[in-house]
Amino acid sequence: MLKSFSQNPVSNTHKAKTNILWRLHIDVPLLIGLLLLMGFGLLVIYSAGGESIGLIKRQLIRLGFGLGVMFVIAQIPPRILKMWSPFLYVVAVGFLIAVLLFGIESKGAQRWINIGIRFQPSEMMKLAMPMMVAWYFAEKALPPNFKQLVAGLVLVFMPTIMIMMQPDLGTSLLIASSGIFIIFFAGIKWRYILSAAVAGLVMAPIMWFFVMHEYQKGRVLTFLNPERDPLGAGYHIIQSQIAIGSGGVSGKGWLKGTQSQLEFLPERHTDFIFAVLGEEFGLIGVAVLLALYLFIIVRGLQISLQAQDTYSRLLGAAITLTFFVYLFVNIGMVSGLLPVVGLPLPLISYGGTSMVTLLAGFGILMSIKTHRRLHSR
Amino acid sequence: MYKKQAIKDYGREISIFYARAVIALIIVTGLLLLLFVRQFKLQVLNHESYQTQSENNRIRIRPVAPIRGLILDRNGVLLAENRSIFTLEITPELVGRKKMDATLASLSELLAIDQKQVEEFKEQIKFRSKYKSYPIKSKLTEEQVALFSVNRHLFPGVTVEARLERFYPHGEELVHAIGRMAAINKQDMEKMEQAAEASQDFTELKNYAATTKIGKLGLEKYYEALLHGTVGQEKVETDVRGRIVRVLERQDPVAGKNLHLHLDYGLQQKANQLLKEVGARGAIVAVDPETGGVLALVSQPSYDPNLFTGGISQANYSALITSEDRPLYNRAVQGTYAPASTIKPHLAWIALQHGVIDRKTRIADPGWFSLPNNEHRYRDWKPWGHGASMNVVDSIIQSCDTFFYDLSVRLGINRIFEGMQQFGFGDKTGLDMIEEKAGIMPSRDWKKEYRSESWYMGDTVNIGIGQGFWTATPLQLANASAVLANDGIRFQLQLVKEFADNGAIEVNIPKMSPEQIVTGDGRWLDTVKMAMHQVTLPPLGTAKTAFENAPFTAAGKTGTAQVKSIAQDETYDAETVEDRFKDNALFIGYAPFENPKIAIAVVMENAGGGGGNAAPIARQLMEYYLLNNDSKPNANLQVGLE
Repeated sequence: MLKSFSQNPVSNTHKAKTNILWRLHIDVPLLIGLLLLMGFGLLVIYSAGGESIGLIKRQLIRLGFGLGVMFVIAQIPPRILKMWSPFLYVVAVGFLIAVLLFGIESKGAQRWINIGIRFQPSEMMKLAMPMMVAWYFAEKALPPNFKQLVAGLVLVFMPTIMIMMQPDLGTSLLIASSGIFIIFFAGIKWRYILSAAVAGLVMAPIMWFFVMHEYQKGRVLTFLNPERDPLGAGYHIIQSQIAIGSGGVSGKGWLKGTQSQLEFLPERHTDFIFAVLGEEFGLIGVAVLLALYLFIIVRGLQISLQAQDTYSRLLGAAITLTFFVYLFVNIGMVSGLLPVVGLPLPLISYGGTSMVTLLAGFGILMSIKTHRRLHSR
Repeated sequence: MYKKQAIKDYGREISIFYARAVIALIIVTGLLLLLFVRQFKLQVLNHESYQTQSENNRIRIRPVAPIRGLILDRNGVLLAENRSIFTLEITPELVGRKKMDATLASLSELLAIDQKQVEEFKEQIKFRSKYKSYPIKSKLTEEQVALFSVNRHLFPGVTVEARLERFYPHGEELVHAIGRMAAINKQDMEKMEQAAEASQDFTELKNYAATTKIGKLGLEKYYEALLHGTVGQEKVETDVRGRIVRVLERQDPVAGKNLHLHLDYGLQQKANQLLKEVGARGAIVAVDPETGGVLALVSQPSYDPNLFTGGISQANYSALITSEDRPLYNRAVQGTYAPASTIKPHLAWIALQHGVIDRKTRIADPGWFSLPNNEHRYRDWKPWGHGASMNVVDSIIQSCDTFFYDLSVRLGINRIFEGMQQFGFGDKTGLDMIEEKAGIMPSRDWKKEYRSESWYMGDTVNIGIGQGFWTATPLQLANASAVLANDGIRFQLQLVKEFADNGAIEVNIPKMSPEQIVTGDGRWLDTVKMAMHQVTLPPLGTAKTAFENAPFTAAGKTGTAQVKSIAQDETYDAETVEDRFKDNALFIGYAPFENPKIAIAVVMENAGGGGGNAAPIARQLMEYYLLNNDSKPNANLQVGLE
């Protein structure tokens, strides 16, 4: 078997540094990156939430729980995760069907089901999707042929459409991209990618007239012209840009953002938290945040490159890039580059079950990094 | 399927992956740069414009509290309303940290705010946002408002806000029936936040954005969701100091729903008066047997709920909680008392249904009862007994204990327990009030679980006269009385009859549909009811004096509950017994006898005999209600008068 050692220069020294953290399956650089982000997030939440200690306490509990989940998942070797992938996917699809049939409706969306506890199956799909698609391509000869590509796309779009129907545009976007990233890394031919781009352009008007909900169209229109709805979503966009812009290079200082503190800004500690950060910490704070995100993404890709099997490699890269989509969509939305899509700023925004799912994903990356066969097979 | 699967080429796979990872990283870095450039544009290139916009940002959206629903009695009498009050509020950021102490000092001098309130205020703002305004003194008088207005320029960051606040025009007469409100405190806030996060539904939390008070007790708490209403929004322009200059746009809040009660305020007032006149601690519950609607729910002593709405002072509060009379305690729904002889009619009915006795069954009453092979004498209230030949009707009329001692032993605890459960004993009635207690309807299982003992025959004997382990709330007694009045049909008790929403009235549908509990021969019911009727009549009824010359017919049963157990050879002497150990006086009944419109229970702590103390009050209330019931004038009274 051919094996590229050039990409794996550290593997020989691993025997020597079998330290405790390694045995606990924790990747230290990744953990440090995550903790720094969380700490930054807590600072901003404290300010945005009207200096409420209760809010911080609950966020700490949630972070602790998320880190616990990450730690537990890091203990599971990738080959076990691979084994479970199809099962997890089938169960998640089952739950999604259940949601459409008899889910709990709340605020015009049907996203939850009650199985003893209320939960959101689309969260489960966020992990099940890349795991399943990676499982499907792992044993195929890559790059995939046309038939395999079609099969992969069916796996991606079946759940995506179900989540769009709930409707939950933000989550379906994340889930679709996590599956598409796997196909991309599996080596799909560039001409297919180009044709998809062209098809997308053609599809856009069709989506607009036949698929999108009124409220979604409204968001796009408001994005193009915020003054259209100055009391609603347009108000969010206008106010968040004023907040960010008035922050300047060095910011107005922690707890001193007038936009945020005087409550001009809605959803301050959740989806629009980036505006508070921009106002109080300025361009410097934004640069630090983006650098931290870049660091985590680089580390995630590095771990994927060093992975020892196809499944881990594809999965690791897809998780990392989905994380990027999260933050790009959120920051883009808050700073007026993209229309309003309800996604939190990962690891910074207050609350949300999505935080736990996100950390579970990082648990998988840690597992990939730390479960290594030291000998070739 | 002859085509062989393509062989995996690991080298190629990895090099493709490598290339794509590099491409992905380049794209990611590029997009991150794009984000950075966007922020650079906002924060550096357009900074000045946004800076100016931020400074001039005088338009803000703020929540507007909805008007809380009113509470009205069956005739439209206002029981809870909203009054406009003026509150002095401070926004710490606008005052400034350095000037805070000086401001507070001169304010307290100007408006006579006591030092304690100032300290409390300082404590309150310690860990909260400096940019919100907090009340320091509520209920400013007109003079104080005028005084402050003149000096307003001296106090930047201090404002007078007009707010609507709950007001209970009838004060202490109704607090135990309709409850009260208080400020939303830290725990309330935490609870709401946690609930919102657990369900990921923040509508409720946002709905309270402008609300400062919340229902803490009774109907105010039970129907909080209906009473509160929906928050509104307004877009306002403020000056540099954050004061509102004008309202630009407004989305009106939706007022809460008005609650219309079954309660009759006149009857409630009368019941309070009657208890107060004799200075009794106790409770009265009156029910409309035809609907289960509660006509009056009184507990004395009581207190003024208005004390709590504006924030109760420490002195007032400790006076209330340390009072030996326990005014905060709602005796009508939380007080659990031995029902004593008031349950004899029910017991008789259960025994008749089971065929344990019939109308002709007679026993001799020497003044005591004892179990076989046991020396212990269970005494009748009449030391020398009721005579040689007592049947069930005589025994209800004269409240003969010996007959019921004997009957309960014959019936056995299991059948008593089952039968009494149907009358609602041992379980909450399900009234629309969270504070209700269930009392105890003892059974073999209950004793095993709570006393870790098995059931003895002697326990059953005590149950026969409504004593022993048995406790019931006045509400349960009124319910049990209404079930008899209603020929065995039990309705869900309810305080609220309907809600009104901008004029549209919705009927408050009871949680429990009427339950038919009568079984077997209807004549048995007639037997019991006729006996109860004769309780109110000469020559032998225990309540005959109370109902003398009543302009209506009635049925009832008196009860006198021992509070202190009396030793075997001791005698009870009302003169020498300490006040707190005097008997509780009880009465249940309904009127008119033929066509009941009101069923009632009266319980008076340490007042003495039920016939002499509780029955007269019940009679006056029945008379008041039947003569003053506007909704059904004179018709039912004539039925009663025949």
